Parts: sequence; structure tokens; C-alpha cells
Amino acid sequence: MTTALMIAIIVLADAAADVFLTKGMRQIGEVTSFAPRELLTVALKALSNRHVLASMLFMALHLTGFLIVLSWADLSFVFPATAMVYVVGTLAAKFILGETISTHRWAGTMLVCLGVGLVSIP
Amino acid sequence: MKVFSKMRTLTERTEIVALLGIAILSQAIGNVLLSQGMKSVSEVGSMISGDWVAVFLQIVDTPSIPFGVGFLIIFFVLFATSLSRADLSFVLPAISSEVIVNVAFANYFLQETVSATRWLGVVLISIGVVLVVRSSPRTFGVEREPIEAWEEVNR
Repeated sequence: MTTALMIAIIVLADAAADVFLTKGMRQIGEVTSFAPRELLTVALKALSNRHVLASMLFMALHLTGFLIVLSWADLSFVFPATAMVYVVGTLAAKFILGETISTHRWAGTMLVCLGVGLVSIP
Repeated sequence: MKVFSKMRTLTERTEIVALLGIAILSQAIGNVLLSQGMKSVSEVGSMISGDWVAVFLQIVDTPSIPFGVGFLIIFFVLFATSLSRADLSFVLPAISSEVIVNVAFANYFLQETVSATRWLGVVLISIGVVLVVRSSPRTFGVEREPIEAWEEVNR
């Protein structure tokens, strides 16, 4: 039960990190140039964007949760279970970020989720 | 007009897929370098004595670790960049091809045997990524028109 709860926290934290990073990057605007000066400007904007900072906090929570749960649960169980992030992330993209998910994209995401689960089983 | 917007979507998709491709390779290289570097550090065994300064100096002095971190930074920059231009629901499944690269690396460079279940997983991920990448990369924002046109042409 505790393991299931921890995995839920890890997956939600990972999805939240992605959603916040996406929100932040869209506020900063499209990055189309990789000139060093341009990248530096974007980096400075990112580090002062509260969505990007929230994303980093959730990434830290994700990593901490992952390390904690590994102290008692097997990696061969934890890692495939975290593949759920593809489905949770896509749901969040639809309902929080307002993206349109076509049937093809849903089918592809489900296959990826299943595939990552299979690959992680030793 | 339809052809024009189709071309625009295609170019945008090619650019995003190229960005993600480089991102995935950087991450795979970064992970290999880090894992190699950290193994050589832990072999020295100064972790046990608790001499963290010595450990830190060793980490900085093992070239593959700073290089590995560098590659992971490149990954993160490219990941964030692609999120500024494409859907999260496009980038997230597409970036999962890293798993395929990892299995391939393990098989060819590290001579690990890959089980049938793993290969099945790789096949499923590949089909899934192809399905996702075929959809238009961007549905958010104001640029609705070209995407709808693209879906229409694709139907």
C-alpha cells in the first residue's frame, strides 16, 4: 500500500514537472535560435520563471521519492510502474495544457507505456 | 493554400524530431559517461572514509563525469526548447525512444543479452513512437488552421 502510494507520488511529481516546464517554456516563448547569446537570455528568463522553478521542485520530489521507494521495493517493480507517466502526462497535457490528443497519438502513447513497462522487467 | 500549410507543418515536425533525436543521443551518451565515471570513483573507496572533499575532487578530476553532466545539460536544453514549440503529449512519448537507444547500447557495446520480453517492449515502443510522431506536433496556441488542414489532408 505504501509502495503504491509512493509510486503514485513519483508519477504525479514527474508529470507535474513536465507540465510546469511546458507552461514556463511557453511563457518564455518559442526558442528558435541556438546562438549562445540567445540561449543565455532564455536560460536567465527560465531561471526567473516561477513555472520553471516549480518544475525543478517537482523534479527534485520525483528523484527523492524514487530513491526512497528503492530503499524497500525492487527496481524491477518500481521502474516498469513509473512508465505510467506517459499516460498521466498525456492526460495532464489534454486537461491542463489544452492539447488535442488524436486517436493515433493515444494509441501510440499506450503502446509506448506498455513497451517501456516490458523493457524494464528483467 | 492547403499544400502550403501542409509544408509548414512538415518542416516544423522535421525540426522538432531532429531536436528530439539529438536530445535522446545526448542523454544516452551522458548516462554512459556518468556511469563509467562514477564506477571508477567508487572503486577508490574514499566514500567509506567519509572524505567528501576528496570524493568531490576525484569526480571533477575524472573527465568522463564533467563530460557526462555536459551531455545531460544539452539534453535538458533541447528538451525544454522542444517543449516551447511542440505539444507535451508529442514530446513525452517521442522522447521514450531513449529506452530503445539504451537497449541497443546494452546489446552492442556492453554485450548484454537482451531477453525476448525486452525486444517485444522495444517493438511496441517503436510502433508507438511512429504513431505519435506521425501526428501533428502542435495543437496548442493560436495556430489552429494549419493543423486542422494537415489532419484533413492526412485523413
